[in-house]
Amino acid sequence: MSPIPLRRARKSRVVARAAAAMAVAIGLAACSSAAPATQERTGIILGRAMDVTTLDISRSLCDTCQIYNAAVYESLLHATPEGELEPLLAEKWEANADNTQFTFTLRADAVFSDGSPVEAKDVVWSWERLKNLAGSPSYFMAGITKVEAPDARTVVATSELPNSAFFNIVSAGYTGIINSDVAAENGATADANAASSDQAEQWFLSNSAGSGQYVLDSYAEGSQLVLKANDKYWGEKPNFTDVTIKEVTDSSAQLQQLQQGDIDVAMQLSFDALGQIENAPNLTTEVVPSPNFVYIALSPGKAGGEALQDPRVREAVRKAIDYTSVIDATVAGNGEKQATGVPNGFEGTEGLPLPEYDPEGAKALLAEAGHGGGLTLQAVFPTFTIYGVNFATMMQSIQQSLGGVGIQLDLQPLEYQAWADRLGEGIPVTAVYFAPDHPDSIQYFQYFGLIEGSVWAERAGVPVNPQQQQLAVAALSQTGAERTASYTELAKLMYNDAIILPVVNPQYLLASSADVTGNNLDITRNLDLTRIKFNAG
Amino acid sequence: MIRFVAKRLALMPLLLWGIVTIAFLLSHAVADNPLASIVGERNLGNPDIVRAATERWGLDKSLPEQYFLYIANLLQGDMGTSFRTKAPVGSDLADRLPATLELAAMALVFAIVIGTLLGVLAARMRGRIVDSVVRVLALLGSSLPVFWVGLIFLFIFYASLGVAAGPGRLSARVIPPPDATGFYTVDALLAGDWPLFVDAFGHLLMPALIMSLALLGTVIRIVRSQMLEEQGSDYARTARAKGMTRGQVLNRHVLRNAITPVITIVGVSVGLLIMGAVLIETIFSWNGIGTYAVESSRALDFPAITGVCLVGGCIFLVANLVTDIAYAVVDPRVRLS
Repeated sequence: MSPIPLRRARKSRVVARAAAAMAVAIGLAACSSAAPATQERTGIILGRAMDVTTLDISRSLCDTCQIYNAAVYESLLHATPEGELEPLLAEKWEANADNTQFTFTLRADAVFSDGSPVEAKDVVWSWERLKNLAGSPSYFMAGITKVEAPDARTVVATSELPNSAFFNIVSAGYTGIINSDVAAENGATADANAASSDQAEQWFLSNSAGSGQYVLDSYAEGSQLVLKANDKYWGEKPNFTDVTIKEVTDSSAQLQQLQQGDIDVAMQLSFDALGQIENAPNLTTEVVPSPNFVYIALSPGKAGGEALQDPRVREAVRKAIDYTSVIDATVAGNGEKQATGVPNGFEGTEGLPLPEYDPEGAKALLAEAGHGGGLTLQAVFPTFTIYGVNFATMMQSIQQSLGGVGIQLDLQPLEYQAWADRLGEGIPVTAVYFAPDHPDSIQYFQYFGLIEGSVWAERAGVPVNPQQQQLAVAALSQTGAERTASYTELAKLMYNDAIILPVVNPQYLLASSADVTGNNLDITRNLDLTRIKFNAG
Repeated sequence: MIRFVAKRLALMPLLLWGIVTIAFLLSHAVADNPLASIVGERNLGNPDIVRAATERWGLDKSLPEQYFLYIANLLQGDMGTSFRTKAPVGSDLADRLPATLELAAMALVFAIVIGTLLGVLAARMRGRIVDSVVRVLALLGSSLPVFWVGLIFLFIFYASLGVAAGPGRLSARVIPPPDATGFYTVDALLAGDWPLFVDAFGHLLMPALIMSLALLGTVIRIVRSQMLEEQGSDYARTARAKGMTRGQVLNRHVLRNAITPVITIVGVSVGLLIMGAVLIETIFSWNGIGTYAVESSRALDFPAITGVCLVGGCIFLVANLVTDIAYAVVDPRVRLS
């Protein structure tokens, strides 16, 4: 035998052994019951499509950010599920007679995660930074001209105009308080030129500086966000040693992982999944109301929307939508109708008429307005699914409804960026969504109403309505029943405008493993981690 | 050989500059504006917020200004900051690339080892039932859509039977190994944590197998046809005439010659596997460069898009170089020049 075949024979044996080793490894991987180092069951895993683009509280604006901000930072006040305010970092708060000056007294025992006390200077710094960064949530400080700290426990904020909603506004997690000394050491600044000079955003991707129940442990974009309990927390002990928000992008994947026990809470299950899990013994489900809603917006003042300048045509559009069919098609019937751009149950919505499907009424209005032969409207909308509502499905359903009365919708689905670009130019009919930041109805009037600075007054190309403007200004100088009356009047006027037509107020499916209690949907925190816990915990 | 490699390496910067320039221009040629993803739809009507974002991300600068600034920074190793993740693009890519490379490497191993074994088996059993089964498998592997197979496999083996690991690189509540290479299997072994290795390897199996299917089918077909062709050649007949068994001829002579085209196919496929990993990564929640590329494109995240193109270009160039070298190693008749 020559040495070459011998060498090859050896090579063959090596290859065979390697193949055998690989097969064994594969078998082991598939069958092994060996348990790797795991986090204890004292930690909870939340599965959701994370929409995080920053962990800098003063630049963040997203649903997942609400959870993170509330867990790691704390605002001065907290809004209860009933919409009432309760103390958090502030133990007392009061406004002057004309609601232009707001005084907060901080609690003495609150400390940041490094053990240093939460002081008035931190509040001043945090709110000034929030405003001066001109980041996405800077509008929370709109109109605030001055924030002062007369002493270590007193904060005084001054508003240019009366703003009785300010206490509600500062219950939003985005107004949470940062440890100013720590953040400043790491490139953050609250100076007037913070928008260009602040260098801390990357630091916040791997560090936190708050006084909340948790601190940031790690963040891997597109994978998971891990929080761990703040061992210096000044208040009630957190319910979990750690909280993992795991990126699980779609409903079916969340369902599978919940069923297999890989996540404890599935946060964005569609209602298709409900039938598969509502009777599962190891899972808990509950359908609850939500303050989120999806609407179509009409732009009578923009090119292509001329026919909508006649209020009768807009009213006809409202009457022509078969809401029940749309709600069935989008969220399997798990949704509510909503009168106008203020969600059901918010201050000012009591007594508002819910929209009714009335094709004959719509036809009559169209005929009166000179469109008895029908009309065509362009509908440009983003192609995404939000709060379980697939916009393409919704718009097709609406197209079918409107077609029944002679209104032809020319549907043009676009990618989000392209659609957002078109918003500036004006779109005759579009579809959008809204989720609240805090419990005060003023956010809706300021965004949807025909008042100065309103986003939708501008987008719809409609002039400011002096009556609405007057009411909005008056409401912010009022409190109690007086303000409720102003809000109610504003909501009625917005209803009559028929610029914003809510289509579905989707309910929310809470789904978790059976040993989880207190799962919730919270207005300011999205998921309030102080209320959810394990049964045994 | 050394001269050849040096020449190819010297050309790389020029090629990469071309790739970066084309990627930069193409991504900016899109008519849409990334501001919506930076400030959010609700803030598009707020001039203060829009102005601050425009200035901060350099979107107020002209295209040539943006380009020269990007190239100047790139020459200093700075690939810019992602609009979307707010982290340096270099750091994002360094975090994501090992996940994709680990997945692609395992898929390559599957495609080469299983594909070659099945190809040889089919050639040796030509015309028999085994040959037919293998050929059907090769056809299915090449033709079934990856996303469909992925979803079906997940549903059957993970969600229904519970015998396979689920999406992600590790099981729930499993703590990742200390970061050394970014390959969880390797890092687990380096840390001496066998159970963690088993967990990471288990999570790698299904996505890698599915990722390999198309290449696996190609390798099977090439190996089989090459084996059959080489079997009828003069040298194979001579070897048989000198007393070698059919198996010895196939394993020692024919296989080596039949494997050469596989190297070409694998070389070309490496880049495609890595840069085309998006479907598998999405289905299996694999936080790699494919999902990063798609998310960045959807957000019109210019620095990230250009960064991904740069890395992708590097991968293709290196893969082609390695293929040429491997070709020369396997076939001594090939001279590199």
